[in-house]
Amino acid sequence: MNKFDVVVVGAGPAGSTAAYLLAKAGLKVLLLERGRGAGSKLLWGGKAYAQPLRDVWPELDKEAPIHRWVTKERISVLWGERAITLEYKLGRRVAFTSPLTELAAWMARKAEAAGALFLDEVVVEEIVVKDGRVVGVRSGGDFVAADVVIDAEGANRLLLEKLGLADRPNPYHMAVAAKEVISLDPRLIEERFGLERDEGLSWLVLGDVTLGIPGGGFVYTMRDTISIGIVLNVGYGAEAAEKGVLRDHISRLLENFRTHPYFRHYWKEADVIEYGGRMTVEGGLRFAPKRLYANGLLVVGDAAGMLVNAGYTIRGVDTAVTSARVAAEAVLEARDKGGFTEENLRGYEERLRKSYVYKELVDHSGVAEIFGDPFFFSKVPPFLVRAASKVFEADYAEPTLLEALKTSAQEEEINMLRLMLKVGRVVRRI
Amino acid sequence: MSQPSRLRPLKLEELLRRNVWDVDEERHIEILRQDGLPQKALQLLCPMGCYSMAGDKLLMSYEGCVECGTCRVLSTPQQIRWEFPKSGRGIQYRYT
Ligand SMILES: Cc1cc2nc3c(=O)[nH]c(=O)nc-3n(C[C@H](O)[C@H](O)[C@H](O)COP(=O)(O)OP(=O)(O)OC[C@H]3O[C@@H](n4cnc5c(N)ncnc54)[C@H](O)[C@@H]3O)c2cc1C
Ligand code: SF4
Repeated sequence: MNKFDVVVVGAGPAGSTAAYLLAKAGLKVLLLERGRGAGSKLLWGGKAYAQPLRDVWPELDKEAPIHRWVTKERISVLWGERAITLEYKLGRRVAFTSPLTELAAWMARKAEAAGALFLDEVVVEEIVVKDGRVVGVRSGGDFVAADVVIDAEGANRLLLEKLGLADRPNPYHMAVAAKEVISLDPRLIEERFGLERDEGLSWLVLGDVTLGIPGGGFVYTMRDTISIGIVLNVGYGAEAAEKGVLRDHISRLLENFRTHPYFRHYWKEADVIEYGGRMTVEGGLRFAPKRLYANGLLVVGDAAGMLVNAGYTIRGVDTAVTSARVAAEAVLEARDKGGFTEENLRGYEERLRKSYVYKELVDHSGVAEIFGDPFFFSKVPPFLVRAASKVFEADYAEPTLLEALKTSAQEEEINMLRLMLKVGRVVRRI
Repeated sequence: MSQPSRLRPLKLEELLRRNVWDVDEERHIEILRQDGLPQKALQLLCPMGCYSMAGDKLLMSYEGCVECGTCRVLSTPQQIRWEFPKSGRGIQYRYT
């Protein structure tokens, strides 16, 4: 088994996509995964945008483990017992929910069915370089040779760091999530959230669910489970912990969220069947490695920083799939040109820059600015909720909206002009 | 105590009982140097509560780790040795 055209490291969405497309094109592909089966180390929110996945698997709608199509998007700002909620009812089916454990397993099965050799329980320890080019990978005492290696190791880039292509990430560019899976009868999910049989909801919550620390809460409905979680920026979270602003464990924030009077009715009798955590990227392009390709090497997915964190939504799976699709095209192009040299693989970055992924990453840089500005998390939510309370909780004549905003700004010690400027700057790039 | 148990916050220990691990005999994460470690951040942000205090020292129990990498990002290679568990060991997520 010792020589492959392509070795792919990591059977997440990115790795399985690359392995699938290259095996389908007739190359000899080895897909390596450290977990027991693909997906066993993965956890997400979870909804995936379908069209970029259909570009790889036109049969997606028939075959993939699609739990529900998102027909409702909600955003809430929560402070204390008060909440403001905005709901958008979609007119079209663009994204679906599914546990990532299931979705990633399906993608790896597709790669295997296309002819890739899938080996799990293999921790790749090194991408091996010889005479200035990548020649294969090493795990334990075993070396596997490859003409080209595709690094799809995800956000924990042990291999790229070893190669010197990435540094240990800046904590402010990362976020950590704690998540629970709640088991609930599908009919109750549909009744309580107002959904039809295959419809789902995606819900983002900002405010004191994170104690005003940059981050948020999420709720996604799967077929017969609900995914709820709390995400905290690692840098700001650590600061808050050291300063004593954060005194409780992250699981406690999540449990407070689950049992909050505004939310708990949705799943009041339901049990938590799994609890977990995973880290994600918030830095966008700032997290990108020093290079996306080298002699005999391509980097795809989270490892390449191809994750759009647009505040109201994390898009990492469709972008991982797309970066891997583009990488697979570049590999085939390089093969036709006669070899996987750096020069011949340059098409990867060029194609990527033209894809929607890159455009999204650049356009949404305003979001990175939000995450770089704790003001939006600690000051804006209480201000908005206070203004709403003045309008909706007046015993006698309620103030005008403008009055309510003005006095709330004063009471929260917010400079209105500064707020408007900040909001204006961000909205243009969200 | 009139609230049903599902409407009260569960303790971390109770949440951990929901999970499946295949724990390796060998530890994959180890504190090498205590100096300068953000003690509170590690205790509160490690989602699985793997870090706790023993006197004035930080203690790391690798058994409940989900290999998320947060403690890695909050430390240097000199402070914490961090590897993935071998042969598929560690957390076995099922519905996440
Ligand atoms: C809390 C949270 C919520 C999210 N919500 C969403 C969402 O709703 N929608 C969305 O689109 N995205 C979401 N994301 C992001 C999304 O999950 C990722 O962007 C996506 O999984 C990236 O895919 P990938 O294949 O690049 O990396 P990964 O999915 O991380 O896959 C990497 C794989 O490589 C394996 N691996 C790593 N190192 C090695 C090694 N040395 N040897 C062998 N195998 C190795 C890992 O076990 C893993 O299976 C979320 C992420 C988090 C953390
Ligand atoms: S990797 Fe994550 S789960 Fe494991 S000890 Fe570190 S912070 Fe905790």
